[in-house]
Amino acid sequence: MKILVVEDQKRLANLVKQGLTERAYTVTTVSTCAQARDTVCEDKFDLIILDLGLPDGDGLDLLREWRRSGFKEPVLILSARDAVQDRIKGLDFGADDYLPKPFSLEELLARVRSQLRRQSDVKETVLECRGIRLDLLHHTAQVHGQQIDLTRREFALLEIFMQSPGRILTRTYISEKIWASHFEVDTNLLDVYMSRLRAKLETNPDKPLFKTIRGVGYQLL
Amino acid sequence: MRSISARLAVWYALAATLTLACLFVVGYQLLQTHLINGLDLLNSAEFEQIKAHLGDDYMTQSKRVIDERIRETTEFSSVLFYIEIAVPKRGTIFASRNLQTLSIPDIPGQHRYDAEIPKIGELRVAEFVLPSLDITIATPLNPVREVMEGYVEVCAWLLAAMLGASVLIGFGLSRLALRPIRLMREAANRIRSDNLSERIPVMQVQDEVSDLARLLNQMFDRLESAFNQVRNFTAEASHELKTPLTLVRLQAEKLLVGGTLSAPNEEAVQMQLEELARVNQIIDEMLFLSRAEARAITLQSKHNDPERFLKSFSLDARVLAEHGGQHFLALHEGAGSVSFDENRIRQVLLNLLANALAVSPPGGQVTVRSRLNTTEWQVTVEDQGPGLPADQHLRIFNRFVRVNPRDTDGSGSGLGLAICQSIILLHHGYIVAENGAEGRGLKVVFTIPVTPAATTATLGDSRQESR
Repeated sequence: MKILVVEDQKRLANLVKQGLTERAYTVTTVSTCAQARDTVCEDKFDLIILDLGLPDGDGLDLLREWRRSGFKEPVLILSARDAVQDRIKGLDFGADDYLPKPFSLEELLARVRSQLRRQSDVKETVLECRGIRLDLLHHTAQVHGQQIDLTRREFALLEIFMQSPGRILTRTYISEKIWASHFEVDTNLLDVYMSRLRAKLETNPDKPLFKTIRGVGYQLL
Repeated sequence: MRSISARLAVWYALAATLTLACLFVVGYQLLQTHLINGLDLLNSAEFEQIKAHLGDDYMTQSKRVIDERIRETTEFSSVLFYIEIAVPKRGTIFASRNLQTLSIPDIPGQHRYDAEIPKIGELRVAEFVLPSLDITIATPLNPVREVMEGYVEVCAWLLAAMLGASVLIGFGLSRLALRPIRLMREAANRIRSDNLSERIPVMQVQDEVSDLARLLNQMFDRLESAFNQVRNFTAEASHELKTPLTLVRLQAEKLLVGGTLSAPNEEAVQMQLEELARVNQIIDEMLFLSRAEARAITLQSKHNDPERFLKSFSLDARVLAEHGGQHFLALHEGAGSVSFDENRIRQVLLNLLANALAVSPPGGQVTVRSRLNTTEWQVTVEDQGPGLPADQHLRIFNRFVRVNPRDTDGSGSGLGLAICQSIILLHHGYIVAENGAEGRGLKVVFTIPVTPAATTATLGDSRQESR
């Protein structure tokens, strides 16, 4: 999988590149609109990560230009502008996702994965791992064959963990998936739900299912 | 009167009608003088005729002959003229028959005058002198009076018509003259924070109205540039702060994921990450407030059913309350829909709930009461905490004001209620704090108006549901 990172902040670009390379993606970084334009013409990428504030122009204009010329690959916008208007504008211009700064690498990876997965979209109706079986059609959950009752929110929460077992999911990512907003991050709502989910799923206290990563998020082990 | 065009029309109509009325008065005077002059001419003509019939030798003739001669000529015109002939010192020697026994009154010193004789009416009198004879000829003024009455009547009708016509014309003209102003008003009305670059169309001609339009446009230019400065500042500030923040965060994460840290160091890095999240939250909140102040925030408002919205919120609110060993109760009355930004109002409620839970004692209850009527939606969040002195009720909505005793660990930015207030203001509503019933606990109440558009949408929605 080849990814183009358009980011003028060299150190940030390198950190992102390093994080992505460690996950076996092939990464090219450029720092201006002009370079991005040339690189896209020369090579084919599966995904583009685009910063909006570039030294020689606005990333949004570049995006619009690409979409007009029939460029279809997913584009993920990185931006310090986190106003809802900017977000909507970005999506209107043809972005596939919008990640506000400061972001966590895990969050970026989660979004990259979800964009690349979307391309080869196979929607599973039953998720199974770590002895948990989640039937998305009938909304039932079983732990080691034992039926357990989950509320709507708990079910949704478990579902996003089951979709990427072993991955660290950030608080912002979870909040946006479940509540479609990130204001819940400011409360301990997510932690409360996590502790309820743990109480229902973790039968053996010596073998925890979830790991808390303070300041970042949670991980289904 | 509220509209300038109506006022202008009335002034115009009054001025036009008054001018016409003055002209009619002058016309009345001129016409009357003219007609009376005509009567005087008639009288003179009659005198000439009498003089001709009297002949040159009347001085030597007897009274009977004179009488005969005059009567010959005057019998035909006796309907039109009243004639009296007198000889000074000897008295009347002739009176036309239509005078019967009456005589024409004499006004000494005047030769042309109006006089009134009982039974005959008003007359125009002319006195002529032939040597040794005073001849007085009078003719009725009645026809003149009749013409003048007709004139007055016609004038009255014309004035009424003029008044009506000039009101209409004045209204049309003033509307025409005010049309550029109306266009300006519409354009100025359209210009909001999201289309500040629009301008009032300026007419090609150079007049007062186009000057005003140019002046207003200059004002909009200044407004736009000030607005853009705020917008740019917030965009730049967030960019300048958030890019380094991302770097710090990614570096810290890298340390953590590497797994080479000792336990105390790992703890320190985790705390760093938590603090970074707080810093980011504070930056977001400050940016939100400054953008809201500059009216640079557009709400994503939709018609929502408050009851359904509250139900969804209660789901999470109950979980939060139970976690702290407290209770949560939500009550709603009234059906219909309100236009609001679901995410933002949820943010307000979460904020108020967190505050309420923080001050309520274990086992205490937080109650959310929502009431919807035809004009407004009111939501009250009530806690069982110690409440606040009345002088704090306004102050808590200011920035960086902390009043929660448990908030001293600095977990909040002190911007929460200020943000709640600005969100409610963006919805054209208001938010207040007051003491709970029996002086216990604090009640925070926000009210959002139900827009007229929302009620029509409600009708439409309910119709769809019933299908």
